Amino acid sequence: MPGETSSAGFWYWLRVLTIGRRPKRTLLRLAVLVVASVVVFKFVLLPIRVTGLSMEPSFHNRAVNFINRLAYMSEPPQRGDVVGIRMSTNMDGPLQVMLLKRLVGLPGETIAFSGGQLLVNGEPQEEPYLKLRSNWNERGRRLGSNEYFFVGDNRSMPPEQHEHGVAYRSQIVGRVLFKGRQPDR
Amino acid sequence: MKPAVRLILASVLCALAFWSWGLFFPAPQKVIGKHLAKLARLATFSRTDGNIKRLADTERLGSLLAGNVHVVLDAPGFRGETFDNREELLQAVLAARSQVKDLQTQFTGIGIHVSPDKKSAEAFLTVMAKAGGEPDPIIEPLKFTFQNTNDDWLITGIETVRTLR
Repeated sequence: MPGETSSAGFWYWLRVLTIGRRPKRTLLRLAVLVVASVVVFKFVLLPIRVTGLSMEPSFHNRAVNFINRLAYMSEPPQRGDVVGIRMSTNMDGPLQVMLLKRLVGLPGETIAFSGGQLLVNGEPQEEPYLKLRSNWNERGRRLGSNEYFFVGDNRSMPPEQHEHGVAYRSQIVGRVLFKGRQPDR
Repeated sequence: MKPAVRLILASVLCALAFWSWGLFFPAPQKVIGKHLAKLARLATFSRTDGNIKRLADTERLGSLLAGNVHVVLDAPGFRGETFDNREELLQAVLAARSQVKDLQTQFTGIGIHVSPDKKSAEAFLTVMAKAGGEPDPIIEPLKFTFQNTNDDWLITGIETVRTLR
């Protein structure tokens, strides 16, 4: 009967759309996809949600991004990179929380702030990503061979309310995948 | 009795003895971990809690603290607040509970280090506390110091830890 035929056709196409013509192959693909997703999002690209205002306006509060853990496999961290930093209380455990900051000082350099201007080895630095400037004044700090200096992009808040300073290379988890708001040209 | 059955019985007895030992003589890390979980539970409250529950929870929280507990909150957002004993801290907790209606507290990334003589220990963790009405949680790395007194581990110190020095 025509009714039965069209009903059977509907169920056939529904099955083809949901599990494909070869269910075994679809299942295998699904398993590969699940395993690949777990590996990628647990060990390579860590999903993060930005909390707080210290990286405004480059990275907005509650924005979603990823930390690329392979970013520094072949090259060292560079000035201007935005990185995820492991909490000092959790050097070995699972990465549930991390700081998101911009790297502004490399090993061996002396970092200072004068009237809000970032100085590296006494030289003023151009920071095109900076929209909320400060009047911070901080004496120079010389970084050790394995130390980096980090600060957020929102410098409109008082320095004592803005977490910034030195962390070890081992605390750097990776570089942020999507670079956030680009400087106006 | 067949040797195989004897072997299985002996294995079961050994496993039972091992489990009982852990139950009656738990490792310090386990005891401290349980204390921290209890602390997070007691630091969580909602607006539906009555005054009696709030008082009872604060008292139970006090039972985890040593009398001379020293607390230093020195991080962005805090103004270098310190508490030098249990009573002072519990007063502050009660005052905070009257101001904040809801609070969800969670400890993550807990690492516990016990001293070789097993008389003191340090626990490092990150606290995530979300107050009702606030869109974002407070996230703060903390260090807890424990002292083993009369076969129990009491908190003798809590301090904020800076990730960036």
